[in-house]
Amino acid sequence: MSFDAVTATAHEIAAAVRGRRTTAREVTQAHLARIAKTHAQLNAFTTVTATRALAEADAVDASVADGQDPGPLAGVPYAVKNLFDLAGVVTTAGSKINRDDPPASRDATAVARLQTEGAVCLGALNMGEYAYDFTNENCHDGNVRNPRDLARSAGGSSGGSGAAVAAGLVAFALGTDTNGSIRVPSSFCGIWGLKPTYGRLSRGGSFPFVDSLDHIGPFARSVGDLAVTYDVMQGPDSLDAACTSRPTAAATPHLDDGLAGLRVAVLGGYFGQGGEHCVHAAVDTIASALGVTQRLELPVPELARAAAYLITATEGGRLHLDRLRTRAADFDPPIRDRLLAGALTPAAWYLQAQKFRRWWQEQMRELFRHVDVLLAPATPLAAPLFGQDTFTFAGRDVPLRASIGLFTQPISFIGLPVVAAPVHSVGPLPVAVQLIGAPWSETSLLRVARVLEQAGVCAAPIACPSP
Amino acid sequence: MPPVNDPVTLAEIATLHDAYEKALAANDIAALGRFFWDSPDVTRYGVAEHLYGAEAIRSYRQSNEVVVTGRKRLRRHITAFGADCAVVMSEFSQSVRGKAGHCRQSQTWIRFPDAGWRIVAAHVSLAQATNESTWSAYADQTAAALALALAPDHRPGVIQNLERAASIAAPLLAHALPPATEPAPVFSA
Repeated sequence: MSFDAVTATAHEIAAAVRGRRTTAREVTQAHLARIAKTHAQLNAFTTVTATRALAEADAVDASVADGQDPGPLAGVPYAVKNLFDLAGVVTTAGSKINRDDPPASRDATAVARLQTEGAVCLGALNMGEYAYDFTNENCHDGNVRNPRDLARSAGGSSGGSGAAVAAGLVAFALGTDTNGSIRVPSSFCGIWGLKPTYGRLSRGGSFPFVDSLDHIGPFARSVGDLAVTYDVMQGPDSLDAACTSRPTAAATPHLDDGLAGLRVAVLGGYFGQGGEHCVHAAVDTIASALGVTQRLELPVPELARAAAYLITATEGGRLHLDRLRTRAADFDPPIRDRLLAGALTPAAWYLQAQKFRRWWQEQMRELFRHVDVLLAPATPLAAPLFGQDTFTFAGRDVPLRASIGLFTQPISFIGLPVVAAPVHSVGPLPVAVQLIGAPWSETSLLRVARVLEQAGVCAAPIACPSP
Repeated sequence: MPPVNDPVTLAEIATLHDAYEKALAANDIAALGRFFWDSPDVTRYGVAEHLYGAEAIRSYRQSNEVVVTGRKRLRRHITAFGADCAVVMSEFSQSVRGKAGHCRQSQTWIRFPDAGWRIVAAHVSLAQATNESTWSAYADQTAAALALALAPDHRPGVIQNLERAASIAAPLLAHALPPATEPAPVFSA
């Protein structure tokens, strides 16, 4: 069977490189060529680190030639949302303001761990400004276009990450998720995404947005790739105060354990209505494939979303206070106004939101005594068109950008792990379903994802954008 | 020290101020303009606008037709300093764009050798900001406390976002939580 570096998964690439059927340099060059060819259409990359990538690839090839094992990601090309530090590159976080910062002196923790396992970094990816965004319409760097339909948004704020993986520019990518910024691009681009438990993966060396809610995680085109990248990025890190000191828990060895012992239910009520038909059809498709009939409702999820909104605005506003004082005119205007208002939020609102967070966490902990995995739509619609400002939700027009996170915000609010599972069979555009678990249950979620992948219910084929 | 409150000067200013009020009631923009000093140094603060220079005042008047109804003077206090300088402070009740309000007006008048009496500085404010969001004063004061200057063209978006946050916060604040519930911050020692 011939090896195609662009369509291959991370596992297939690493196996081919370790088995000397190709070289990391050849794989890297093939991807760099594809990035150059599609850049005008997709605008997914903001920096291509070709020199670095070829040096990393050559190091992998030298290691193989020496009879050493370069690691499970040997020669696997990836890229990172441009809020992750890459040594020698300015970490812009989607902004104009940070372009004035000096280049990062060292790699982010996650990037350093990937490099140790043989991965090859191709560059930094476009994102919504300071990650306060769901459509990746960036007024400084330009919009990221969706490789499944160039007239549509790739989702945000990790839009470049979603587009790059869907278009085969990289085998996997890193993004971040504060209110849905991994799960939304997964849904709009039709690829796998993992938002781990809050604190599971280090945010060290990444530009923050909301300390209480920020997560990092991978996008990929296969469950195995999601698992292996997740596995190698685990571990404590003094650079991230929230990063757990729990022992690492590799998912890969358990991927094929099946559904045994896992209780799965569909989330109804708030999560079961409104939005486009396809998003609920996708949940039904997965539920049916898993033989799930139980439906559960969460207590006051709309308040969880409200609390996430207030924590986001308050912490984001405080984070950017100095920049708002000195460079307010250099922000994208809607983001600036949200941050300014956030900087002025009354303390009592913020503390009520943090108290509510504790209370809601207790309610969910009780619920997870009776269930292991919950199914819910990732987004209330498939990828919207550029220029679209509203969509129909429960019979009325709602503002697009403020409503995309309806189903993701309550979940990340208490840091629950989620796999975004892509479904392509429910309409012309894909959407993702959230597989939601109790804290630290990533392995269970990835097991369910693997079952869905093997059943052909979920997949992440490469999109070939037509010029 | 020049004589304070010379009766002739006080009478002149009272007549001029009456005429100004009449032009205002008639929305006579040309006449209103003639009361102001024709200079880049003339200033007028309205309830919402900050106008520097005669051109800014003229341009504001022409592009903002303000219909004032039921204007009733509650009190006027004129002080004259010598024969060429006077201050007019007055309070009104009135209705602007259908909303009732208690209005304060201050004017500084100077007599120029060529042009005669002109207003060189003026300021209008509402005692009850009935046409402003309840969040506008909050935004201004909190921003000032944080040394955060809100640019005039950023302010409306900020107030709109605060109003939105307030409506989002309301049901959350109304949600009773057990008293022992502690916040869920990130810190762990």
